[in-house]
Amino acid sequence: MFGTLKQILTENWQWRHQIWDLAKFDLIKTYRGAALGKVWLFTKPAVYILVYWFTLSVGMRHSSDINGQPFLLWLAAGVFPWFFMSDAINTGSDVYHRYGYLVNRIKFPLSVISTFYTLSLLIIFACTMLFTILVCLLTGVRLSIYILQLPLVMAIMFVFWTAWSVMLSPLGAVSKDFANLIKTLSTPFFWLSGVLFQLTSLPHIAQRIMAFNPVAWCCDAVRSCFVYDKWIWSDPKELLPFLFTFLAVVVLALCSYKKLYKEVPDVL
Amino acid sequence: MSSKVQTPKIDYGDANVIRDEDRTNPVAVRFDRVRKTYKLFKSDKQRLAATFSRRIKYDLINASDDLTFTCKRGEALAFLGDNGAGKSTALKMITGVCFPTSGTIEVHGRVSALLELSAGFDMRLSGMENIRMRCQLWGLSEEEAEELIPSIVEFSELGKYIEQPMRTYSSGMRARLGFAFASSIKPDILVVDEALSVGDRKFSAKCRKRVSDIMKNENVTVLFVTHSTSQAKEFCTRGIVLSHGKTMFEGPIEDAVAFYENS
Repeated sequence: MFGTLKQILTENWQWRHQIWDLAKFDLIKTYRGAALGKVWLFTKPAVYILVYWFTLSVGMRHSSDINGQPFLLWLAAGVFPWFFMSDAINTGSDVYHRYGYLVNRIKFPLSVISTFYTLSLLIIFACTMLFTILVCLLTGVRLSIYILQLPLVMAIMFVFWTAWSVMLSPLGAVSKDFANLIKTLSTPFFWLSGVLFQLTSLPHIAQRIMAFNPVAWCCDAVRSCFVYDKWIWSDPKELLPFLFTFLAVVVLALCSYKKLYKEVPDVL
Repeated sequence: MSSKVQTPKIDYGDANVIRDEDRTNPVAVRFDRVRKTYKLFKSDKQRLAATFSRRIKYDLINASDDLTFTCKRGEALAFLGDNGAGKSTALKMITGVCFPTSGTIEVHGRVSALLELSAGFDMRLSGMENIRMRCQLWGLSEEEAEELIPSIVEFSELGKYIEQPMRTYSSGMRARLGFAFASSIKPDILVVDEALSVGDRKFSAKCRKRVSDIMKNENVTVLFVTHSTSQAKEFCTRGIVLSHGKTMFEGPIEDAVAFYENS
């Protein structure tokens, strides 16, 4: 297993110059073919946020300030990371089908495909986070010292969702059923993970279970930076279960990659 | 950076793959008792189940079976054989996109491959973007790429189409761009799979001229897969006849062609 870890790290290190460029090409690919191009990068999240905001605060009358911060900021700090994770779950779990030609036409290490795809998602995520900070500054919303941990949170999310993609993509390549199963799970993830509600309103036992849910942890961590004003390591009851999940995903990713990376080019 | 610094020896279970950039090695490619086995399952579901359990039954088929040959530096080697003889599998293993099940493969030098016509292009990017991306994947610096790109575009004869998305290209246009790229980047080993038969007569002649120019350079090794014995005779000095993954004959091209045509 350590051999596989070393192999993956070596591959990523050797191709480090290309990873950035490939991530850029992935963005071109996603936003190309539309006259407005880059505008879509912001339009889609903006529309979603407005719709959620309308449903929750106008429709359901459920929007008070949270920890002294505007409800809209609380919403954005959960929904933007969700967009990142939703793509990581939907496409990242089956990324070899998106880049079939890198699998069996060109000699290219498979694990690097997961890395640069997640990086391209991270670039968009970073843009939305900058946008959020900018809006906060312009509208005079107070940002605390806790915003400084945002780069760390994003780095953790990047590594976690890359490992997630390395874990599931080989299985997704082997079986389309499996890829569809993961895609189907993305909607439950959204509704159960507290993207649109506060996890503290759940019963105690549900909170303990939810602590193992990576989507819930990531949303919560970003909100810790903007709204909750706490360090992500301040509550071990939240951090330790996530670290457990993190480690489990890394170990499973190594097993799955070791077992299947030679088989993937034969079946894709 | 890219495949320039490769781990010299990687152990794939029973199989050994040795790859380096040593272009002074007199041997370019060597196969020693190489076997490639594909697992055939009844369905994708069974294949998925087999990754979790050893009890699932499957059929085995040997695409390459006990394949042994040596290709010296500067040689032009033709693989002859009917469909399903294992020619493409052998080329894929040389390129490194698929892994042998057992045996030893040695490849010394950088391989540029033209596997099937659209040879690794992203259909949603434009021709120009594809070329830039491939230059980066090949490990060229920005300056080197800028220098090379005009000649690739010119050779492909795509003109203004080069800025259009690849999915709007005809198969002939894709093949032209693929050939222009693979033959322009100065590989040590050029792998060509059924590519010269594409395009109109004029372009096909241009491709043949390009390949013979490349072959004049004594340090470039060319591996060539074809059904066309006349093309094999035109370019290659040695031939290997494959059948059901096994080497049936290895020798000078005339003898190999004669053997293939009589078998």
